[in-house]
Amino acid sequence: MKIEMFHLCPYRDLPEDFREKNRSVWVDVPSHLFDAEIASRTYNETLDELKYAAEVGYDGICVNEHHQNAYGLMPSPNLMGSAMARETEDVAIIIMGNSIALYDPPIRVAEEFAMLDCISGGRLVAGFPVGSAMDTAYGYGANPALLRDKYAEAEELILKAWTEKEIFSFDGKYNQLRYVNIWPRPMQDPRPPVWVPGAGSIETWNHCIETGHLYAYLSYSGYKRGKQVMDGFWKVANAAGVDNPYHAGFLQLVCIADNEEELHEKYAAHTEYFFNKMLHVYPGFSDPPGYRTVDTIKAGLLAQTTTFGRASDHEATFDELRESGNVVAGTPEQVTEQLRSIAKDLRIGHLMLLNQFGSIPHELAKENIRRTAQEVVPNLRDMWSEYEDHWWPQNAIVRDATPAPTPAD
Amino acid sequence: MSERSVSVRNGEFHVDIHEGGSGDPILYLHGIAGLEWTPFLQQLSVGHTVIAPRTPGFGESTGTESLTDIHDLLYFYADLLDELDLGRLPIVGHSLGGMFAAELAAMQPRRFSHVALISPFGLWEGSDPVPDLFSISLSDLAEAMYADVKSEPAVAVSTAPQARMTEVDPSTSEGQDTLNYLVERAKSMSTAAKYLWPIPNRGLSKRLHRVTQPSQIIWGASDGIIPPTYAERFAASMPNAAVHVVPDAAHMVVDEKPDHVAGLIESLLAR
Repeated sequence: MKIEMFHLCPYRDLPEDFREKNRSVWVDVPSHLFDAEIASRTYNETLDELKYAAEVGYDGICVNEHHQNAYGLMPSPNLMGSAMARETEDVAIIIMGNSIALYDPPIRVAEEFAMLDCISGGRLVAGFPVGSAMDTAYGYGANPALLRDKYAEAEELILKAWTEKEIFSFDGKYNQLRYVNIWPRPMQDPRPPVWVPGAGSIETWNHCIETGHLYAYLSYSGYKRGKQVMDGFWKVANAAGVDNPYHAGFLQLVCIADNEEELHEKYAAHTEYFFNKMLHVYPGFSDPPGYRTVDTIKAGLLAQTTTFGRASDHEATFDELRESGNVVAGTPEQVTEQLRSIAKDLRIGHLMLLNQFGSIPHELAKENIRRTAQEVVPNLRDMWSEYEDHWWPQNAIVRDATPAPTPAD
Repeated sequence: MSERSVSVRNGEFHVDIHEGGSGDPILYLHGIAGLEWTPFLQQLSVGHTVIAPRTPGFGESTGTESLTDIHDLLYFYADLLDELDLGRLPIVGHSLGGMFAAELAAMQPRRFSHVALISPFGLWEGSDPVPDLFSISLSDLAEAMYADVKSEPAVAVSTAPQARMTEVDPSTSEGQDTLNYLVERAKSMSTAAKYLWPIPNRGLSKRLHRVTQPSQIIWGASDGIIPPTYAERFAASMPNAAVHVVPDAAHMVVDEKPDHVAGLIESLLAR
């Protein structure tokens, strides 16, 4: 199994009464709450935390794209990826990803990803999300009724721009280009692996099986709800003869301490900050017309695809969030055991762990990153060794799967 | 009233048509809430044949996947009208259908003898924005649509099932009904979004001056979907348009004041 550290670059200092005073952390979050000094610190600490995750033994580092929100401050994850391509030696640089339907023309994504692949020496994973409703339909004004159609065309164009040897013309429904001839081209041959983050829609499952792209279920609903979604994915996959766990990724919040008291003291408030403030999205922004397809609605997958985070209106407590599987918290042994059981149960070959969520101070985040990377990650790598990972960048490190003795701090 | 299905472009579209009354034809284009044979259409069909097609994407009308933008939609309607072969006739449109009626009249002015626009979309003034109908809560939506929020249709809007509700069991018949409702709503709203998202302006202001027929602009005084201030904006570009704002009515003025609106259209046809 591969284990990657995911970073959202969340804004860390929203006021205590944010939830009471504001309807949404996304789209219309008040600009007066933004402090450039805090953002400056957040960006630099995020870059340090990503670099640190690579140093202490994660297999890859992940960043993603969001717009007009305090939940994730990276409208351009490529800027972070570029810094990481320079700051790290060997880990996979996983851009998770660029919302390809939003770029006009989408070959901008083909170009920037090719740059990142060249800078990193062939370590790039190219993520192609459809993008959340808040980011795409509201933040970027994309027509939700046409988003998936535009996505499909953008994907076709980008993949062709990477792999076609000759200059070509592209006469699409949304893009017309007389000369497609990107410079640079990716270092990986024929192209970087494509990972598709999804929220449980049938179309994305089918798409990933048809194209062979990795499917990553990114949600904060925790592994209990994740199980429903991944069962759905594997049902589609199995029908097509696909059973390789490396075809699937899953995101999970993780925090580690030596005992219950320490766990509560260190992480309870930050976990609550994340779920109660970072995921406080006005419901009217979560489901614009046409964003979910009729097939997904018909299949009755309402519960899985409609709430970005938690469905509940009340403020959740740390204990409730642990109980419902939204966060995996415990000693290294407990966390290892839980993650192992999640990966097995959901058939996950790429586990993406979130060690910094919301308001965790930099030094504590580093501690969480280090302990996860050194006391949990090495004991999970042996999973799925009978399968081959076809979704790993050609020049990213493949670490020894034998559990190593814990290095000294 | 009778219903039939008309094939357009060799079956690329199948369009439901509601037709009622007798006399000279009137073309009616329905609004964002969809097509029903309402008391308003019943009233309008006294002395006229009202022909009301259902826009692809709504109900059983098919072919919406062939339509990406307003131009596709207008050429579809031009083909449908060729198919129906109705000759020159009055066009009446409400809400989304009002936008289509204005666009069609600008595109093919000689096809239409009179133009009635009832609370139409299609214009945008940044200092007086059209509210974001797609993200407002159902209770706000009901208030925007109906002057009397306690009326039966207003309550139906504010209490309708929502696609983001978390508990629907498709194995029960009640769950199936809810799903069917949500599917129809998702279809019709995403169809509307093609022409209205994110700002309900597809360039009509550049073409509206071509609508020179005798015209009537009708607006509900408390319309919260499109502010009544837009009535004068439409009239300003249409050289032969009169404005009438209906009191005690909102966006669904056709349902709230059917006799009043039908009477205004009668007067228009006499011009």
